[in-house]
Amino acid sequence: MAGDIVEIVLRAVCVLAAFLVLPLLVGQTEHKVMAHMQGRLGPMEAGGFHGWAQLVADGIKFSQKEDIVPLAADKRVFRIAPALGIVSYLFALAVIPLGPHTVGADVPGSLVWVLAVGGIGTVGTLMAGWGSGNKYSLLGGLRTAAQLVSYELPLILACASFAIAAGSLSLVGIAHAWTPWWLLWQLPGALVFLVAATAELQRPPFDMPVADSELVMGPYTEYTGLRFALFLLAEYAGIVVMSLLLGVLYLGGWTGPFDHQIGWLWTLLKGAIFAVLIIWIRVAWPRLREDQLQRVAWLGLVPLALLQLAITAIGVVVTSR
Amino acid sequence: MTKFLSGLAKGMATTARTMTTHAHTQQYPHVKPELPSRSRGVIALLEENCTSCMLCARECPDWCIYIDSHKETTPPTTEGGRARQHNVLDRFAIDFSLCMYCGICIEVCPFDALFWSPEFEYSTTDIRDLLQEKETLGQWMPTVPAPEPLVPELPQTEAQQLVVDVEPEDDPAAGRTTKRGAGEVPRPGTEEQP
Amino acid sequence: MTTYDVLFTLAGAISTGAAVLAVSTKHLVHSALWLVVALASLSGCYLVLGAEFVALVQLLVYVGAIVVLVLFALMLTRAPIGRSRDHDTPLPQRAAALVVGAATAALLSAVLISAFGNDAITVRGGSTHVLASQIFGTWVWPFELLSALLLIALVAALALSRMPIGRRDDSEADAR
Repeated sequence: MAGDIVEIVLRAVCVLAAFLVLPLLVGQTEHKVMAHMQGRLGPMEAGGFHGWAQLVADGIKFSQKEDIVPLAADKRVFRIAPALGIVSYLFALAVIPLGPHTVGADVPGSLVWVLAVGGIGTVGTLMAGWGSGNKYSLLGGLRTAAQLVSYELPLILACASFAIAAGSLSLVGIAHAWTPWWLLWQLPGALVFLVAATAELQRPPFDMPVADSELVMGPYTEYTGLRFALFLLAEYAGIVVMSLLLGVLYLGGWTGPFDHQIGWLWTLLKGAIFAVLIIWIRVAWPRLREDQLQRVAWLGLVPLALLQLAITAIGVVVTSR
Repeated sequence: MTKFLSGLAKGMATTARTMTTHAHTQQYPHVKPELPSRSRGVIALLEENCTSCMLCARECPDWCIYIDSHKETTPPTTEGGRARQHNVLDRFAIDFSLCMYCGICIEVCPFDALFWSPEFEYSTTDIRDLLQEKETLGQWMPTVPAPEPLVPELPQTEAQQLVVDVEPEDDPAAGRTTKRGAGEVPRPGTEEQP
Repeated sequence: MTTYDVLFTLAGAISTGAAVLAVSTKHLVHSALWLVVALASLSGCYLVLGAEFVALVQLLVYVGAIVVLVLFALMLTRAPIGRSRDHDTPLPQRAAALVVGAATAALLSAVLISAFGNDAITVRGGSTHVLASQIFGTWVWPFELLSALLLIALVAALALSRMPIGRRDDSEADAR
């Protein structure tokens, strides 16, 4: 019994550590990759070697700022909103496996779990948008809601395709069922997942809700200091979660040479590929207009995801005979 | 649709290419910039050349030059000679918090007492420290680069090329002028010499 | 009392409390947010009973989609910060709602008590596999009927939203 509790605490601490470290790694990668893609160097000073401590310095800066709650805001909702945004991705990260046994919590329906807790984060953003008592925030919240409802459907359909192909709702089970054929067979699904995940994270080119040229910072306009930092952390934790998820679903997670010893490294590497891809997309492509955004979701991704679902179903029926 | 997709691919390709090439950033405090010799950093004063004629102070568009001087009388060196008067510069100051770096003072100075220097690292934490007196202004003099020749000299190979290009038999006059242009332009200032 | 009993009671109490607050609060958006709490703790109830798939779908569909839509609609129309009396219902309506709610609760508890009494029932069949074989085996026709109904509703909503506002003939006549 005591051993169980120690194990649970240890796992929780590991997940929390990963939750605090991996987003910073992604953030630093974004700083550097984006800078070099734009012919710059990025942060070079903080910490000495190529500005490795830039995000730590940013965190210290954020924690020193004054915690301002606007007079017109709904104070309780305004204060709770960042917590909801961050908790959802913490819960999601807890069930993503790095190896067949290296997982925070081995839940039977972990794929549905990740998708379900993602919805809580949405509510957090909506609460931030409404509770700020600011018209830009409200508009940003509206756009967030419209965008997330539209892109959740193709995301879930793409995930359903992977689940059908593996015959399992557990991420560990899906990664076990993975074969190299999936690279071709599930390609449309992976594309749909990547685009929908980028939209779900409100990353450019799907950053209409926080479009700074029209909405200041969307739902986060009124936030400063640690609460704003929490939203930023949630965004980068979201990239970690989505990249690892796609790495596990589409690239087979820990499958690779010597996967008994360094399986977790393969998962992280595969996740890193998609994280860099999401960053790359941000640098390379311009922002979509609101109507284009909806058009891409409903006329592009949903039919493609349905097609992928049909292909997967046919494949499963044919191969299971 | 193909246009849309090729546009997306082009964006990815361009950013990837930029990432693999060197960044354009200059690491300024660690690596000093190589400024052209004519860049306008700070105004240096060669005090010996200044006659306190006040031309610069009067032409300055925002009145940021302060000059104080007094007259001194030198007694005649020979018997029955006339005593001579000359100006002694007491104060020459430029307020760089007002200066707009137009360079008019340097243009109007008839005695070449003011020069541009590319030095630019003289920011202060107190705006009053930007009022630089003649001692400070004089310290910039060693940083003033040597003047560039008015007509840039052609490199040797290019000059030979010019001479070869022109056929002297066709037009002797053209040949002469070309030879003259090929590196034998009199340096500025040498023409007036007797 | 096992741990599950305690957790179930806790989740149920939170759910009930949040539901009461959702209908009684004067803040419009707060009532939608209390609804989130109520639905989430209801999914906690499912989770305690061992039906993790139902619990997650509850979270995914109700919190992730339906309440987001409710909030979206509220923000689009009117969502004042602070108390608002615009949408207060008259007293008789409230009394009627209370009577209907109490009657439903009484009916449900009467049925449950008469059916099971004080017996301890082990709940089974909540797992994903059993759920799937039930829905797509035993209850496949009602399930398909529901899907068709939802599809028809979707198409109808699309048709309604694409209809021009006002009478078409008049506007065309005006244009001429």
